[in-house]
Amino acid sequence: MTFFEVVFYAFSTLMVVAALGVVSARNPVHSVLFLVLTFFAGSAIWLLLEAEFLAITLVLVYVGAVMVLFLFVVMMLDINITRMREGLMRYAPFGIAIAILLIVQMIMVVGPENFGLQAFAAPELHGADYSNTKELGRVLYTDYVYAFELASVILLVAIVAAITLTMRRRPNTRHQIPGEQMKVMKQDRLRIVNMKSETIDSEDK
Amino acid sequence: MLENYIPVLIFICVGLFVGVAMIALGGFILAPSKPDEVKNSPYECGFSAFEDARLKFDVRFYLVAILFIIFDLEIAFLFPWAIVLEDVGLFGILAMGIFLGILVIGFIYEWKKGALEWE
Repeated sequence: MTFFEVVFYAFSTLMVVAALGVVSARNPVHSVLFLVLTFFAGSAIWLLLEAEFLAITLVLVYVGAVMVLFLFVVMMLDINITRMREGLMRYAPFGIAIAILLIVQMIMVVGPENFGLQAFAAPELHGADYSNTKELGRVLYTDYVYAFELASVILLVAIVAAITLTMRRRPNTRHQIPGEQMKVMKQDRLRIVNMKSETIDSEDK
Repeated sequence: MLENYIPVLIFICVGLFVGVAMIALGGFILAPSKPDEVKNSPYECGFSAFEDARLKFDVRFYLVAILFIIFDLEIAFLFPWAIVLEDVGLFGILAMGIFLGILVIGFIYEWKKGALEWE
């Protein structure tokens, strides 16, 4: 077994173990942290395929940002574990049926006959000065420019959808308006009253 | 190309070793461990705990996080573009201009809508 294969099997094993941890952990926060580990291992496997830009983007975007979002969602939902376990047996046949369906679909797509090294030859290893990011950029902004622009439209839809779904106005919260504070003049706050000076008679005498 | 990443692999191995060794030595091998019921109970200054530590988060954190992710992805598209700028030429600059223009519409929308205000 070459050194390359040792690294590949180490990260693959880590990925499978972490993915099992995602679905078997009791605490949903632990599941999210296992998912972070799964993404790390997946990123290492992509790096072994010389897809270095995708590998680093996976760490940067998924581990850095998407998992924070998952943690927020997990913490926002008030998950009561004992109450969730109540309906487990009632939903179990349905869940098993869906699991079998998914497994059959996955075997049909990534089964050995159309996913082995015969179907997809291993990518040839490049020299030290090869840049995968450069290769990606050369086709992304020329050949696949339509898909690239579509990506921006999808991001725009995501902005609008997120704002529409989660924005809540709270009119009765008290907050500072720094602009108004800066603009305030002396006349707005201070009133100078003209009045006669008062003398104190009793103490002088 | 992979030989450039050997230092990263070595760093992962060293980090894993240091982390595991410290927890194993300090937590399981060297430290005395005599747990009892009082030691394992949650400590909250005299009285027993009356609330679950896991509070519900405000949904506003979610909105800020998802808006951050969208612009994070936009930045991710900028990196390969910056590397191949000389190769893709004017066409690539226009393509990125349209891409950024569509996202600037979204940025103006969220700004005017007040999604960036914390209240």
